[in-house]
Amino acid sequence: MAGVLKMGAARSDAAPKTHDCPATLTDTEVLDFCKNGYLLLEGVVPDEVNRLSVDYCDQDNYYEPTSILAEDWFHQHVICNPAAASAVRSLLGPHFHLPVLMSNHRVEAPFDATGWHVDGNYQFRPELNYLQVFYYPQDTPVAMGPTQVVPGSHLVKNKARFMGHLTGIRGAIPTTAPAGSIFITAYQIWHRRGQATGKGMRNLLKYFYWRTQPSARDWIVEEDFDFATVNYGSPIASVVEQFRADIKVAEMFLWLCGRHDDFQNLGGQSWPLPAHRNGAPYGLPTGL
Amino acid sequence: MTSAQNQIAARLEGDFAAGQLSADGLRAALEALLQDTARRQDLLYLHATSTAPSASVVAMTLVEGGAIVAPPDDPDDWPYQSALDAINDGWRVISFPNMALLALSADDPHGLGFEFILEKWS
Repeated sequence: MAGVLKMGAARSDAAPKTHDCPATLTDTEVLDFCKNGYLLLEGVVPDEVNRLSVDYCDQDNYYEPTSILAEDWFHQHVICNPAAASAVRSLLGPHFHLPVLMSNHRVEAPFDATGWHVDGNYQFRPELNYLQVFYYPQDTPVAMGPTQVVPGSHLVKNKARFMGHLTGIRGAIPTTAPAGSIFITAYQIWHRRGQATGKGMRNLLKYFYWRTQPSARDWIVEEDFDFATVNYGSPIASVVEQFRADIKVAEMFLWLCGRHDDFQNLGGQSWPLPAHRNGAPYGLPTGL
Repeated sequence: MTSAQNQIAARLEGDFAAGQLSADGLRAALEALLQDTARRQDLLYLHATSTAPSASVVAMTLVEGGAIVAPPDDPDDWPYQSALDAINDGWRVISFPNMALLALSADDPHGLGFEFILEKWS
């Protein structure tokens, strides 16, 4: 590792702005992302890179330490981290666009929780054209105030200014994670900074990837994956009308498959509602 | 008692049980209790799964004694599991779920839905 990390080596302005790599998520994992709106990859960044990242943030404690993107070691092991990039590749397709901005939610613990919100310029749509990604360079247990999310809330419209009075939300989870974890989210997911009761500096680096190619089912296809019978249920089901979450998840998944034009909801007991049927679900798009 | 008053009482009980309750400590606690007697409106926001007062609560916020009180992390430990629970504990509903939500498209769920706002004076 030490040979790989060349402190001071910097990427030039002429460096590629896109990246490609194998897509390693399976049908089920992509569908899970549609259901939950996030994916947590624990401890995928090497310890030495975590230490370098923390040191870098100690030196550049501006809330947008964008120059870290120019560091080869950061580009290689965080931005193009094999586990994270292959997940991003699965969700955003080939030659996805690399981050152009780095934010750091750097806070000295202890601190209070912030309010629940969705980040500005959100779009509540079935399309997935960009991903917001978080990197924890240090261990982030509950005591260090990890970001909390409401699983599945990317499917439910809200406005940050309408959420100011919310505190406890059933189903919300803290994204506790060991150092080197990368957390990939649908941008519009409801989230907040959790309360920290511990002591020390918490860095949370945040950046963005964009899709550059039309969506397609070019991740790992499972031979036994059955669009007709798979469960499209989401953890957000309790706050929406019955089956509405299933429908939202199915639409998002078909969009990712490049089949959004075929998506249909014929109402009542038709696909994609979960049910014990006597055959193919009525309304199942042809060719799935 | 309010949460703040309960905290003061718990501290006194703890010091008493440990044999550490001093005259100064008792006086300080009494002063804190007396300062906490100004009447204020407490608010309770309960987001339920439907318009029914008995519907399960999916989110809550408590404003008590002039401060926002963080609820327990585990929703099963929240003080009320429905608006009806809160009503039976003396809370008055001052705002019922906004029926305008029903006019929104069923295809576009919005927010946490059915919000009861309740008050108490403490």
